[in-house]
Amino acid sequence: MAYVLRRLGFYLLAAWASLTLNFVIPRLAPGDPASAMFARFEGRVQPEAMVALRAAFGFTEAPWYVQYATYLKHLLRGDLGLSYAYYPARVSEVIGTGLLWTLGLAGCAVIISFTLGSMLGVLAAWNRGGWLDATVAPALAFLGAFPYFWLAMLALYLFGFGLGWFPLRHAYSHDLEPALSFTFAADVARHAFLPAASIVVATLGGWMLSMRNTMVATLGTDTLRLAHAKGLPPRQVMLRYAARNALLPNVTGFGMALGFVLSGSLLTEIVFSYPGTGYLLILAVRNQDYPLMQGLFLTITFAVLAANFAVDLLCLWLDPRTRAHA
Amino acid sequence: MRVALWALTLLLVACKVEPRPRPPGVLFVSVEQQSAWVRNFNPLFAGAGSRWPTRAGVYECLEIFSPAVGQWTPWLATGHAWSEDRRTLRFALRPGVRWSDGRPFTADDVAFTFQLLKQHAALDAGGVWRFVEDVRAEDAHTVAFQFSRIYIPGFAELAQQPIVPRHVWEKVADPVTFTNPRPVATGPFTEVTVFRNQVYELGRNPHYWQPGKPAVSALRFLAFPTNDQANLALVEGEVDWAGNFVPAVDRTFVARDPAHHGRWFPLYGSTVFLYPNTTLPPLDDVRVRKALSMALDRERLVEIAMYGYTRPADATALNDAYAAWRDADAAQGAWVKHDLEAAKRLLDEAGLKEGPDGLRRKADGQPLALDIEVVGGWSDWVRAGQVVARDLRKLGVQAQLRTYEFGAWYARLQKGEFQLAISWSLDGPTPYTFYKWQLSPRTVRPVGEVAASNWHRFGDEEADELLTRFERTDAEDEQRALMAAVQRRYSELAPSIPLFPNPSWGESNSRRFTGFPTEQNPYARLSPHAEPDSLLVLTSLAPREP
Repeated sequence: MAYVLRRLGFYLLAAWASLTLNFVIPRLAPGDPASAMFARFEGRVQPEAMVALRAAFGFTEAPWYVQYATYLKHLLRGDLGLSYAYYPARVSEVIGTGLLWTLGLAGCAVIISFTLGSMLGVLAAWNRGGWLDATVAPALAFLGAFPYFWLAMLALYLFGFGLGWFPLRHAYSHDLEPALSFTFAADVARHAFLPAASIVVATLGGWMLSMRNTMVATLGTDTLRLAHAKGLPPRQVMLRYAARNALLPNVTGFGMALGFVLSGSLLTEIVFSYPGTGYLLILAVRNQDYPLMQGLFLTITFAVLAANFAVDLLCLWLDPRTRAHA
Repeated sequence: MRVALWALTLLLVACKVEPRPRPPGVLFVSVEQQSAWVRNFNPLFAGAGSRWPTRAGVYECLEIFSPAVGQWTPWLATGHAWSEDRRTLRFALRPGVRWSDGRPFTADDVAFTFQLLKQHAALDAGGVWRFVEDVRAEDAHTVAFQFSRIYIPGFAELAQQPIVPRHVWEKVADPVTFTNPRPVATGPFTEVTVFRNQVYELGRNPHYWQPGKPAVSALRFLAFPTNDQANLALVEGEVDWAGNFVPAVDRTFVARDPAHHGRWFPLYGSTVFLYPNTTLPPLDDVRVRKALSMALDRERLVEIAMYGYTRPADATALNDAYAAWRDADAAQGAWVKHDLEAAKRLLDEAGLKEGPDGLRRKADGQPLALDIEVVGGWSDWVRAGQVVARDLRKLGVQAQLRTYEFGAWYARLQKGEFQLAISWSLDGPTPYTFYKWQLSPRTVRPVGEVAASNWHRFGDEEADELLTRFERTDAEDEQRALMAAVQRRYSELAPSIPLFPNPSWGESNSRRFTGFPTEQNPYARLSPHAEPDSLLVLTSLAPREP
């Protein structure tokens, strides 16, 4: 229990640090968000109206510590402010349009990729030098070297445009009402298949290789020799003894990977016009939309911290040594 | 086993996608490019990212100007008249117009709309309250604007203002941040029938004032985050009307179905300039500016930067929307023609002698080096900048292309902290706005202060006097004479270096709908981005009989 509390304390500290960075970094960037905002009117706005506009958007010249205090105060209320790019929509509302889709798409892709990759890694290590180890592993590593978006474009062109097996865009057909029905679920699955598959294919190799390598190291330990000597069935040795021990470093990596999920699926989303947060992030950066940027980064940060906390708890269960210390 | 599982999944998911039949009478439009729609139908605040066609399609204005025909079309007003002393402008409003909730539209609504602009300066993008003193509803169908000074061009600002209903907006706490989710308006499409993050649909206004219109039953908008996605849908025939940049449009789009796929890219967009910062010597010397201009091979530039969709700018710098205003003499100016030898002679005259290394030397013996600033990622301008830099190097100028993130580029441009920059220009129904922001001292801001335009910071008293006289006359021949004189003055001074007029992108697919504007029938601009022309198009389209 003390261990859990210690970790929790660490995460709170990390959260505060990221909040602060989140406040500082956009303000260090060159350019002035007000100007960027008004540029979209391409001069349809008279300079006289500009002053009033600046005031309307709340572009204040207040000193940084005042801005920081306001920022923290609003955050505690859960108020992320108004987006500039989508003015006057609330940031929470803008992020809300895409968060579930991104979590669903990228979350599923990472979980599938992790599970499948780890399983393949276990098998490859168990039959070292077998066909799986000799062909699939290098092939996946080769695929993993391609950027996500390139694979996504290839998949879209081949299976969407060329063969017409999959829809070309969006998370569901535009003439379907979202509903808890089999039709709708199937439609969502069909739309998510290609983008998810392109992420899975691009990341599978990494999980497989790291699992294989730690597993190979584990297989050489005395524990494993003993297990074999005891005459346990090989399958049990493979899964209960070797894989479980080898999984630890991979699980830690999983917590890290979730962070890249929210931001990393960005290009995939753009290729498939997937209505997630990825594109919002680009838009926010392009328009110097501080509130939206901060909202998105906070969402990402908190998701990563939460995922890592969950991973810590999982490690407790996987690794008796941590429990002994706790 | 695993292979079998995979095959099964693929089979389950990959049953061939048949495009569902599209509902008849529903027009698919691609204007804005976004990954997810945010519900906002606020027509008043220009800073609000309101959904298209909020400002001209949901809401309407008093009169509509279409540059293609050079005419004002009466809309919510049936006409207007100036008083004898040109200090009062009266609009006669159309009787029998209703708001989409059935309430009558009156002069009260017009007066109230302009009062809102007065109370909330942020809404007054056109700055009408700089020349308007008062607005009154004289009776149910007459609204009168009192001007603080004689300012004829002000008519355009007033005529094109979207009008909102008083009975709704007087209850709105803050019209600037109001997202107006359920608009009450006079336009052809007012009913938000579907609004989801990937699609929204607008249905007909049940009380629309033009009998039998609109013939289109609904507008539907799909979210496309990028140009590529939007173009894919256009080429596949999923979109009926679009305003996208399409590379090699005749081959990729028109050729696929020449009978129905149409495109019209008239040069009605803003002219793109190479702006010299005239506060920095030697760019304050007209001979140097003209030399830089003559060094440019604009024929190649429009080919490389714009796929040949446009033409080199002439010496008036006007786009084709002002064709009727263009002065033939001024347009003949040789300083926009490619002539490297003449450019070199001009630099010699200006005292920028060629050094032994072929580089031009300034008075202090330093080589003349100029940075050209563009927005990174705006590929047409980046290509234009590369051509410009190469041509200037042939003249012996050390020209470097610098790309900036948009915000940084715009801040530098506005504050006059650049040497050369590529950027747009401002337009209005007449060339008045355009030239005011090119060479009126009234638009010059000191370096370091933000300027809305006239970033090159050039003012000429003589031209300004002509513009001021233009503000005070509504006699057409006098207006033309004054504007011709302004053009000749512009060509003489070369305050900025025009490159090319921008096309206004418009594509149509007449497989399901007829009535799109074309080059042969230019009743409006085809580009849906062109407001308020979009109102003319939306009320002219009709579904094809199946």
